[in-house]
Amino acid sequence: MPAPVIELHDVRKSFPLPGGETVRVLDVDSFVMTAGEQCALEGQSGSGKSTLLHVISGIMRPDSGRVVVDGIDLTRLDEARRDRVRADQLGLVFQQFNLLPGFTALENVLVAMSFGSGRPDRDRAAGLLAAVGLADRLHHKPAALSIGQQQRVAVARALANRPRVILADEPTASIDPAHQQQVIDLLKNTCAEERVALLVVTHAPEVAGQFPRRLRLEDFNRAARAAVRPA
Amino acid sequence: MSLLGIAWRNIRQRLLTSGLTALSLALGVALVVATLVTGSIVNKAFESGSGLGYNMIVGAKGSPLQLVLNSVYFISRPIENISWPFYQQFLPAAERADGVDGTYAASTQTAVPICMGDYYRSYRVVGTNAAFFDRLKRGTGEAYRFSGGGNFRDEDFFGGVLGATVAANLGLKVGDDFAPTHGADDGKVHDPFKVVGILARTDTPIDRGVFVNMEGFYLQDGHAKPLPEDAAAQPEPAPAAVHPSGHAPLPEAQREVTAILLETASLPGLPAELTAMGLRTAINEGRDGQAALPIAEIRQLLDLFVRPLELLLLLVTALVVLVSAIGILVSMVGSSLERSRDVAIMRALGARRGHVLATVLIEAVLLAVGGGLAGWLLGHLLVGAIGPLITTNAGVSASIFSAAPLAEALLVPFLVILAIAAALLPAIAAYRTDVAKWLG
Repeated sequence: MPAPVIELHDVRKSFPLPGGETVRVLDVDSFVMTAGEQCALEGQSGSGKSTLLHVISGIMRPDSGRVVVDGIDLTRLDEARRDRVRADQLGLVFQQFNLLPGFTALENVLVAMSFGSGRPDRDRAAGLLAAVGLADRLHHKPAALSIGQQQRVAVARALANRPRVILADEPTASIDPAHQQQVIDLLKNTCAEERVALLVVTHAPEVAGQFPRRLRLEDFNRAARAAVRPA
Repeated sequence: MSLLGIAWRNIRQRLLTSGLTALSLALGVALVVATLVTGSIVNKAFESGSGLGYNMIVGAKGSPLQLVLNSVYFISRPIENISWPFYQQFLPAAERADGVDGTYAASTQTAVPICMGDYYRSYRVVGTNAAFFDRLKRGTGEAYRFSGGGNFRDEDFFGGVLGATVAANLGLKVGDDFAPTHGADDGKVHDPFKVVGILARTDTPIDRGVFVNMEGFYLQDGHAKPLPEDAAAQPEPAPAAVHPSGHAPLPEAQREVTAILLETASLPGLPAELTAMGLRTAINEGRDGQAALPIAEIRQLLDLFVRPLELLLLLVTALVVLVSAIGILVSMVGSSLERSRDVAIMRALGARRGHVLATVLIEAVLLAVGGGLAGWLLGHLLVGAIGPLITTNAGVSASIFSAAPLAEALLVPFLVILAIAAALLPAIAAYRTDVAKWLG
C-alpha cells in the first residue's frame, strides 16, 4: 500500500463569534490520503472545506490534533517551517486562480519556485507552462490571458516545486462549462504524470464523479454534520 | 526569482504611483544636493581667500572684517586710507628714499600696497605695484600665471592686468585700453590704462579684479591727497621717474594707500606665527592703523554667518526630503489593499513573513535609491545650470562636477534609512496579512 501523504488525526478547529462564543468548523477524527491518490471532496457552503485546506496546507493551525504532510507533523512546526513545507511539499490551486497580476505567466511560476528549497529553474517553469499548453504565452501577464489560460498557469505554478500533493479549492467554479472539463483533465493527467496526490474540493457532482475516490466532508467532519442537520 | 526581482516587479506594476513617489523624492534630493554643493562653493569662495600668499592685512583702524572683505574679496567699502609714511615703515632700506629700514621691515617679507575706490564696469579697480604678481604667491604656492601678456612694470604708469573673469566677461584682450571711473560705476571717467596682461583663472576673487599700476592710479583726478596749507609752500622733491607721456609721479606727501598686504617674515629665533602675532600687536597698539589676519576673520565670518545660513537651508531642504519620504509611506499605505492580496498569494505559495516584509522594504529602498540618484544627478545639473552665475559673482568655478563629497556620500545611505523607516509601517502590515482571509 502506498505511503500516506496527508494524515489528519483528531483535528479540531473553532472560530470566535462576535458575541464571544465560538463555532466549531472542523471536528475530524481521521482523514488519510496516500501518495498519488486522486480524491474529490464535496461539501456544502460553510461546511469547512476551505478551513480544511488551510489546515492541511499549514496556513492555519488546528486548535488540537495532528496534521501530517508527507511524514512531517505540521502541528509541531513553527510558522516559518510550515511555510517551508507548504512551499516544498504542497501545490495550491484556488478558485480565483490568484495569479500575481504584475508578473508574467513564467514569472508567476518562478515566484513559486523562489520560496521552495530548490533554485528557481527557468527551463522547468517554461516546460510546465508548455505542458499545460501555454508555450506561446510565457510572457503574457494574467490580464492578457483568458480565464482558462489563467487557471492553467495556476496549475503549472502548483507543480513548480515538485510537490507531493496538490490541493485544489473549487478549481472549476469560476470557469465557463466549456472549459471546466479541460481544467479537470489537466489536473488529473498532470498529477498522474508527475505522481502527485490530488485533493479537489468541489460542490459540483459532475466533477466529483470523475474521481476514483469521492468523499463528502460531512462523512468525516462531525462539525459539518452538525451544521447541515435539519432543525 | 529573487526578492529584489519581486520588489522590482511590484514597483513596475504600480508604475504611476511609484514613479510619482520617486519623482517627489528626486526633487527633494535635487534641492538638498544643490544646497550642499552651493554651500560648499560658498565655503570654497571664502576659504580661497585665506591662501592668497599673504597672512596679514594692514589698513585704517575700524572693522577688521570690513578690511578683509574689501582687500581680499573686493566687496564692501574701504574703511579709510593709511598714510604713505606708515606704509613705508614696512619697507626695507633698499626700497626707501632715506636708505633706512622701516620700523616693521625686519618682520616683513613682502609688503604690497593696494589703493581702491575706482571701478571699471562694476569690477573693482585695484591700484598696486608690480610686486603684487611678481612676489605674492597664489594660495597653492605657485606664482601667478598669465593667459596672455604679463605683469605691468612699475615704470609703466598706465599698464593694467585683468582677472580672468573680467577679461572673459568684458571681452578685453592684451593691448586694449580701458578707462576706470571714479568712486562708482557711473563716476567721472579717468584716463585710460592699457591691458598688458590677463591672468589665468585662479578660482579666487582675483579673477574679478582689475589691477592697475598705482603710479597711474595716483595721477587720476581726486586721487591725490590734498596738501596741508603749510606744506604746500615747501619745495617739492624731484620726481623719481617721468612717464613717457610726460606725467610726473605723485609726490609722496600726497600719497596714501588703502591697505598693505603683508607676508610676514620670521624674526631670528622666533617661529613665523609668533613674529606675526608680535607684529600685529605692535601695529594695533599704535595709532596709524590696524592689522587683521585674513584667515581668522574669514573663519569668524564663516562661523557667524555662512555656516548658520547653510545649516538653515539644509534644514529646510531636509524637511523637503522628509516630506518626500512620507510620500513613500503614503504611496505604500495607499497600495496596501492591493498589496494584501499579492502578499496572501505569496504566503500561500510558501513565502515566509520575513520574505514579504523584506520585499516591501526592498521596494522602498529601490524607490529611495532610484529617486535619490535621479535627484543627485538633477541637483548637479541644477548647479551646472547656475554655475556661470556663481562663477561670475563669487569668483569660484561652479560646474556640474562641483561637489560636497562627504555630505553627498552620506545622502543615499541616509535616504535608505529614511525609506526603511517610512516603509516599516506598510511592511509590518504586509507581515501581518491574514492569508486565509485574503484567499477567501
